[in-house]
Amino acid sequence: MDAEAAKLIGAGLAMLGTIGAGLGIGILGMGAVQGIARNPDAAGDVQTNMILGIAFAEAVAIYCLVVALLLIFVA
Amino acid sequence: MEETRKPRRGINRLILLVVLALSVAGAFLFPPIRPHVQLPAEPITSKLFEFLGQDFYITNTMVAVLIADVLLLLIAFAINRQIKQGKSVLEGISGAFAAILEALYDMTESTAGKHAKKIFPYFATIFLLVLVVNLTELIPGVDSIGLLHHDEHGYPVQEIFPGIATLVKSSGETLHNGETELYGLYPFVRVASTDLNFTVALALISVVMTQVVGLRTLGREYLTKYWNTHALKEAWKKPQFGDPMAFIMALIDWVVGILEIVAEFSKIISFAFRLFGVIFAGAVVLFVIGTLVPVFVQSAFLLLELLFGTLQAFIFGILTMLFMSMATQSHGHGEAGDEHH
Repeated sequence: MDAEAAKLIGAGLAMLGTIGAGLGIGILGMGAVQGIARNPDAAGDVQTNMILGIAFAEAVAIYCLVVALLLIFVA
Repeated sequence: MEETRKPRRGINRLILLVVLALSVAGAFLFPPIRPHVQLPAEPITSKLFEFLGQDFYITNTMVAVLIADVLLLLIAFAINRQIKQGKSVLEGISGAFAAILEALYDMTESTAGKHAKKIFPYFATIFLLVLVVNLTELIPGVDSIGLLHHDEHGYPVQEIFPGIATLVKSSGETLHNGETELYGLYPFVRVASTDLNFTVALALISVVMTQVVGLRTLGREYLTKYWNTHALKEAWKKPQFGDPMAFIMALIDWVVGILEIVAEFSKIISFAFRLFGVIFAGAVVLFVIGTLVPVFVQSAFLLLELLFGTLQAFIFGILTMLFMSMATQSHGHGEAGDEHH
């Protein structure tokens, strides 16, 4: 297997880490929706904190993407 | 009133149709070439001078940061002029920015309390700078208009106006003498957040100023966040033979303080790569989609980029604000320590 093929396979495997981010964002969404269902008046606060949490969870997926991009373009 | 409105509505539709027809014609005449994506920023001047053994040249992300600086300064001068006229309610774009800044200041006050005045400039500056820089991605001409340079892995060019050429897909016949000049493109302006220099610099500023704000507010007590003297005193107070659990818990508190130093470094990396990754991935997606389907489809992704760019700017700012407000809060060890004395 030459280096180019190994890089591309590695980039594809690196993106498996986004499973965690997807799960995390889903759990956040579930918690936020349940919170709003319990207390509709707090919808604004709940939504703001949910967006904040989603940005954190998504950042982990972005780290995986950065590794994949590094493999394809830099390595 | 009705008659002057009707032709205006017709004109808008006409302009839209003309632009669409032009874009479809352009996509057929000059099919877009996928831009060459590289991580380091491309230089647009030759080497200007040497500094400490490294060449210094102006890169296209520097141009983007300069454009963002000029825009922000213009807005600042516009707001200043309106305030000097004594208006209490600002109009136009100054009013929009006043509304944004007021919303940000309310958020800062609700989180930081009385230290909001110290923290707010960092939050607002980082947010506005990263917002303007991310929004330059949406302007047509960014990442697409630039300098051509010789490149073996490039494409042949075709001149459309005198002095202005465009990359075209190579057709087989032009290679008969093996002498076609292949060119690559260095864009004049590239989104600054796709340059790791910009994001790492902002992350360093954010984390270092967090420490400065904490030191200014709490003084030497801020350093007990890292070297937890209170936990050490607790550990040495309990007799080590009588109550090993409390000793271990106090030691763990001390180790947690040391781990906070590691957490600060991970904050730098996390700040830098979050912003870099989102915007770079967005730029790559825009390039690829714009090449595959030259008409219409890239607009949907531009909308996505608008959303993500704004969100990431906001996240950077609000995380800076959160860490700074956490730095200004003492851990309550001060009061407990006083009682024990």
